[in-house]
Amino acid sequence: MNGVAMNEAAMSQGPASVHADRGPTLVAEGVCKAFISGRVRTQVLDGLSLRIEPAELTLISGPSGCGKSTLLAILSGLQPVDRGRVTALGSDLGGLDLRALERFRLLHTGFVFQGFNLFSALSALEQVELPLDYLGLGRKESRYRAVQSLDEVGLRHRMRLRPAELSGGEKQRVAIARALAKQPDLLFADEPTSSLDAANGQMVIDILHRIARTHGTTVLCVSHDPRLIHHADRVLAMEDGRILSDTRPANPVAPLAGSTP
Amino acid sequence: MVALARKTLLYEWRRFLPAMVAIGFAGLLQLLQAGLVLGIFGSASVYITGSSADLWVGYPGTQSVNLGRAINPDLAMLLRTDPAVVQVEPFYWVDADWRGPRGTGGESVFVSGIDPRADAMMFSKALPPALRARLREPDAVIIDRADIGKLGVQVGDSAAINGQRVRVVGVARGLRALGGVNVVSSLDTARELDIDPVDAGRPTYLVARLRDPAQAAAVAARLRDRGGFGPYQVWTASDFARRSVLYWMLDTGAGAGVLFLAGIVFLVGAVITSQTLMGAVAGSTREYATLNALGVGVAKLRWVVLEQAFWVSALGLLGATVLGVAIIALARSQDVPVVLDVPITLACIVLALGLAAISGLVAMRSLRRADPATLLR
Repeated sequence: MNGVAMNEAAMSQGPASVHADRGPTLVAEGVCKAFISGRVRTQVLDGLSLRIEPAELTLISGPSGCGKSTLLAILSGLQPVDRGRVTALGSDLGGLDLRALERFRLLHTGFVFQGFNLFSALSALEQVELPLDYLGLGRKESRYRAVQSLDEVGLRHRMRLRPAELSGGEKQRVAIARALAKQPDLLFADEPTSSLDAANGQMVIDILHRIARTHGTTVLCVSHDPRLIHHADRVLAMEDGRILSDTRPANPVAPLAGSTP
Repeated sequence: MVALARKTLLYEWRRFLPAMVAIGFAGLLQLLQAGLVLGIFGSASVYITGSSADLWVGYPGTQSVNLGRAINPDLAMLLRTDPAVVQVEPFYWVDADWRGPRGTGGESVFVSGIDPRADAMMFSKALPPALRARLREPDAVIIDRADIGKLGVQVGDSAAINGQRVRVVGVARGLRALGGVNVVSSLDTARELDIDPVDAGRPTYLVARLRDPAQAAAVAARLRDRGGFGPYQVWTASDFARRSVLYWMLDTGAGAGVLFLAGIVFLVGAVITSQTLMGAVAGSTREYATLNALGVGVAKLRWVVLEQAFWVSALGLLGATVLGVAIIALARSQDVPVVLDVPITLACIVLALGLAAISGLVAMRSLRRADPATLLR
């Protein structure tokens, strides 16, 4: 199968990536999750329900320990729920086995973590190409998409460098390019700016926001960084495993047009 | 395809170096051990492998060439009447006592009485024609150069075997014996040195050359069980050599010890290699977990680890080969019996690769820690 054909096949298994007005892409209904450590049982999420819309940047903010990372893990299919139901792109995640979940993530989701988690032996370009190889894309198609993604995060001129030669902000942008090159419908980011300074943090959230706007991607970001609130289209404030408020800032700071310098 | 396994190995070679060294040395140990075992026990059959005879005729049930008993010399007639046989000659084996000229005390020696002619079969590979021609002199003997110190003689010196005077006329290589010292003489000298009345001048073996060595098994079979010649048995040279080596390896307990040691080397190698590989893999746990979050299956990640194990072992074995060649050359220059052939070397390589595969499989366990959910903290 050639790369382009595979690409189309991959796309056809999910809803078309471009645009909004087709209802929520992520739905949680009555989700419960508890962790047991020894004899202590901690209820992290208790009957939580929410809907996340595509083509916008949704921020879940709250103090550490409020359950926001657990929520992200559950919505992205990395952890099962104890009770309740999670639907992503119309699929019930609870009904998928481990392999099917991996396949679902491969085709539809991207991740950006607080630690950049880049392979120290690979150049920026190879980091981005690696998951595309497993997606079954041809060599040319992988290379093309990887370069495009690195261009989109403003790193085309740095794509031959290894992580050791990149700054923290640049590493996080490589990580974003790695997630973006898969052309995911869902992009999850866990504290993407926590280990970055103000300027780099600003740049990273800008890129995430722009991805949501231009690709129609559902971007779900979890952070306790208050600087991000003004960049989000929608902010869910969380505490003790419950959503306290669901607001849409009146005039979110629009992402800069074009590629980042 | 991005060559993750190879690039990581090249870039972070320091992390993988201990595993390479472990596999390399485990392979080297196995190889040298096999070489030593073959070399040492192979010398039990040097009389057969150093000669060009195709058939050996000896006393029935002889388990090793050094345990022969005298047979009927008329058997030579039987051999010569077979149309496949082109040459027949006797071989005398005499267990004897050596007294050197410089007070080295007694030394147990095995005297091999052979035909000294240039076209004779016995020790045709171990003794060049000029050297064996010197055996025509009365009371002449040849010894291995590694035994010079043990016997306390130089070329030209005289000594006594079974109380009779002999003279060392030359030294050869590759005649070292197992459990004693080989001394080569002519048939006449050997008969004189044999003081056992039971032997009464009869040869211990008769050896024969065939027109077509490939027919050895068939000729040996048809020469067995002919009446009128007393007890005898016919073996092909390769059968008799194997019989002798196996006798020393198995019936002396040395073989079991060697196999046991090989098992230990394998076990230790596997434990060290898998531990070092696990450490190297664990260093990339977070990156593997990220790939898994992006949907790259655990099965695919396992392949990366296995591939790394393969490259680690390939590089380790390459180093071991270089070192091994040097060590074997050193051993040979010191007359340490080391024998390596292609099947044994291949077997050792396969064993080392198996060790790497097992280590890789064990190292995969550290991928269990690569749960992407742990990245969400």
